[in-house]
Amino acid sequence: MKKPPVPLTPAVFHILLALADGPLHGYGIMQAVEATAGSEPAMGPGTIYGSLQRMEEAGLVKEVPARTDDRRRVFTLLPAGRRALALEAERLARLTALVREKRLIPDGA
Amino acid sequence: MTRHPWSIGLLRLLLRTYPREFRERFGADLESDFSELMSTRGPGAAWQYALSDMRRAVPMTHSDDQRTRQRRFVITLGGESQMGSLLFDLRHSLRALLSSPIFTAVTVITLALGIGANSAIFSLVNAVLLRPLGYQDPARLMMIHEIIPESRVPRFGVSPVDYLDLDQYQASFTDLGAYRTRTMELSGSGRPESINVAQTTAAVFPLLGAGAAEGRTFLPEEDRSEQSVAVISESLRRRRFAASNPVGERITLDRRPYTIVGVMPAGFEFPKRGPQFNGTPAEVYLPLVFNPFERQARGMFYNHSVIGRLKDGISLAQATRDVAALAPRVYQNYPAQLRDSGRFSLQIAATPLLEEISGQVRRPLLILLGAVGLVLLVACANVANLFLSRAVARQREMGVRVALGASRNRLFQMLLVESLLLALASGAAGLLIAHWVLRAVPAVLTASLPGVSDVSLDIRVVSFTIGLSVATALFFGLVPIVAGMKRELTGSLREGTRSVGGRRQHRLQGGLVIASVALAFVLLVASGLLIRSFNNLMNAESGISALNVLSLEVSLPHAGYNEAPRVRSFYQTVAERITAIPGVRAGVVTTDIPLRADGERRAFFPEGADPSGGVPPSIALTWSHGDYFTTFGIPLIRGRNFTTEEQLENRLVVIVSKNLADRYWPGEDPIGKRLKWGLASSPDTWQTVVGVAGDVVDGPLGSDPVIHVYSPYSETNDQGLASPLGGLWRNMKVAVNGEVDAASLTTSVRAAIAAVDPALAIANVTTMREVVRDLSAPQRFSATVLAAFAAGALLLAGIGLFGVLAFGVAQRTREIGVRVALGAARAEVVGLIVKQGMLLVAIGLVIGLAGSLAATRVMASLLYETDVYDPMTFAIVPALLAVVSLAACYVPARRAAIVDPMVTLRSE
Repeated sequence: MKKPPVPLTPAVFHILLALADGPLHGYGIMQAVEATAGSEPAMGPGTIYGSLQRMEEAGLVKEVPARTDDRRRVFTLLPAGRRALALEAERLARLTALVREKRLIPDGA
Repeated sequence: MTRHPWSIGLLRLLLRTYPREFRERFGADLESDFSELMSTRGPGAAWQYALSDMRRAVPMTHSDDQRTRQRRFVITLGGESQMGSLLFDLRHSLRALLSSPIFTAVTVITLALGIGANSAIFSLVNAVLLRPLGYQDPARLMMIHEIIPESRVPRFGVSPVDYLDLDQYQASFTDLGAYRTRTMELSGSGRPESINVAQTTAAVFPLLGAGAAEGRTFLPEEDRSEQSVAVISESLRRRRFAASNPVGERITLDRRPYTIVGVMPAGFEFPKRGPQFNGTPAEVYLPLVFNPFERQARGMFYNHSVIGRLKDGISLAQATRDVAALAPRVYQNYPAQLRDSGRFSLQIAATPLLEEISGQVRRPLLILLGAVGLVLLVACANVANLFLSRAVARQREMGVRVALGASRNRLFQMLLVESLLLALASGAAGLLIAHWVLRAVPAVLTASLPGVSDVSLDIRVVSFTIGLSVATALFFGLVPIVAGMKRELTGSLREGTRSVGGRRQHRLQGGLVIASVALAFVLLVASGLLIRSFNNLMNAESGISALNVLSLEVSLPHAGYNEAPRVRSFYQTVAERITAIPGVRAGVVTTDIPLRADGERRAFFPEGADPSGGVPPSIALTWSHGDYFTTFGIPLIRGRNFTTEEQLENRLVVIVSKNLADRYWPGEDPIGKRLKWGLASSPDTWQTVVGVAGDVVDGPLGSDPVIHVYSPYSETNDQGLASPLGGLWRNMKVAVNGEVDAASLTTSVRAAIAAVDPALAIANVTTMREVVRDLSAPQRFSATVLAAFAAGALLLAGIGLFGVLAFGVAQRTREIGVRVALGAARAEVVGLIVKQGMLLVAIGLVIGLAGSLAATRVMASLLYETDVYDPMTFAIVPALLAVVSLAACYVPARRAAIVDPMVTLRSE
């Protein structure tokens, strides 16, 4: 698991997206995912930590020391993670364009 | 976080299903996340969130965990130490159970219902029928009764003089003891209270094998001459003497001092509830001393209970015969006048004490026990079905494991752990259910059951039911797998996604469904009959129309009230004061209230009857001051109520019940007729009938109305009223019919009595509504519990049917797909599944019908005006079962109907 698997799983994608704004702990990620995921089923803490562990192994994120007294583990995005997020976003944009071309969804949607 | 310690504890336990490394790193975070969820979204949402999260995250983290991966490799090869593997198995099982939550939930709920209901009912049965009485060898104790066949009363207690004869003549018992119960006023420090007292001869305590915890019981000489000594119960000692030793102290009963000579141990209860006479546990024991009049009065005072302990070598049957044979000898001592009338004979009977105590409740309890056993059977059948289905579904998994080298023992252990885990969860839930069921046992029921002050769960019962459930789960979970392992091994791998259950298993599952339906049928019929009977009982005519009536008891001690005018004037004043209370429609002071069967019984002679026509049956006699009929809503059919003058002075008038008039003066006007107490030859004065009242049931509910005579309290006998023996006339019930809620009148009625004598104890405050409710409580309890069992069995049968059909559909997806592909209509597919299900139900219904026709016969004696073949019940039950079964068929049938032939065919 040294290279980010493409396409990314929704869980990994959403965690990367949440961490793009800065380091967060698990509960913060969960709240951010809930805000961005919309209708998709939300992720629980266990799933998030499990995914973070995998992503850490893949070099996408790393744990950083917490700044407050709060002893919760805080994770931050690594350059590889930012790259993976961008690649995935591009891939999705490409797919969206493809769908538009086929007039399956109206322009501007 | 501190608000949910229980939830956090449980979560911590569940977190152990994560791999250790992961847990060590993220455990604290997971906990704090959870408690944050709990406080922001509530426990329900938090748990839902946490559990769905675990279903996803636990397998994920395990597949990432290196050490688990290695270990799993070792296990499939059959290696590793036992302890380590046990821990692994636990975690593995928990994961496996969490990954099929529906199976787990249904199994746990099913077993919990069975375990819970069984434990509760068996604990009740255990407490009433099996738990020791606290007496030495109680099976050797017998009670003696006297029977006067001509009285048409089934039996009486024993009269003092007959007891003295029996004690002298008998040879079967080591000793005989006599006792009687009454209430007395306990005063002194604190509020006066009415207390239950048993007067016993000195022989009673040694007979029971009961010694005092402190001090002593009665000495032989203490029942021969009046001695002011008392033995008290542990409960009274705790209430009145705190921690001190009360031996040598004094207590005041009916305003006379008694010296305490002993305290009985905690848990000693005498007399026990259950026997017809003197069946109220006492808190104070006094020596029973017969006065000279009682010692020679033949044919009177048949109100003593006599108990005896069998001599060694004498059997119950032998003693029964011996006692019966003593009757002629005792009868010889009766006055010639009574014997020669030819209308008065005597029989004496002995019955085992145990039968007296629990005979009344034995049958209803055993029926409940049988019913709960059926529920357990249905639960076991369901669990068996669930496990069979699951076993088939896992055959492939087992096949793979064996192929990779797992030993059979190893697999066995794994499945064992899984079953035990399930049983443990079910047992815990079952205990909760049992606890609730026992809490639902109404207090009035436990108060009327012998030997039950608190019913607690019996640990042996709980372990037995849990054991049975585990055995069921194990047998049906393991046997098919282990047996199938060898045979199906290669097959299960080769056949790919299709695993075949086999015809035999299918038939077994069908059989289990049939059995569940049949058992549910029997339970539904039984509960239906009890509910019908209960309805009939509640609708039975009792003769009283007023229920908003408050009643309480006031007993007058002899001290201070030793003359008839004082007693009469006291109750007259009370009657006036309570009637004057605002909100009271009518009030009365009376010797007995309807439905309680605690009034006086007398023989009487109606004018114009044939004097040689035998002893008339005893009739109920009610003495009252005030308006008895308005208070209890009893109609006056003819004539009039007593006038004020008749209430205050003896004018020799009575009011009789309609059934008395109909029976002795048919077709004649009863007003102006006369009757007198005693036999035809009695010297008693004639009394004139001035009114006829409606018939009233004296209790229990649903029994025939008794023949009743009502007399003004002013006609009570002066000597009787003044005598300390005149207990009945000094222990009066005060009743008011309220224009407002009767219970709200309690304070003002108490105040009205206290205004006349503030030192009197007031007892048994109740309303007629409560009296009716209490009288019907045992039937209500049986009906409710059985209905709950039947509903549970119905639910389980439905679930069982659903499970088997759903599983069948899942197994036949391919077949159904092919059918649809070949042009079968959806309706045909649905019909196929429904037909399969309803065939099982139909067979179950037929067997159930036969079973209930046989089983309900034992219930005949419990039913009130309800046929054991009640057509309505036998019509509704199959209909109900059919509807539930159709509902159970619906979901699997729909699932079959939406099978996409393309998907099924492609998946091959």
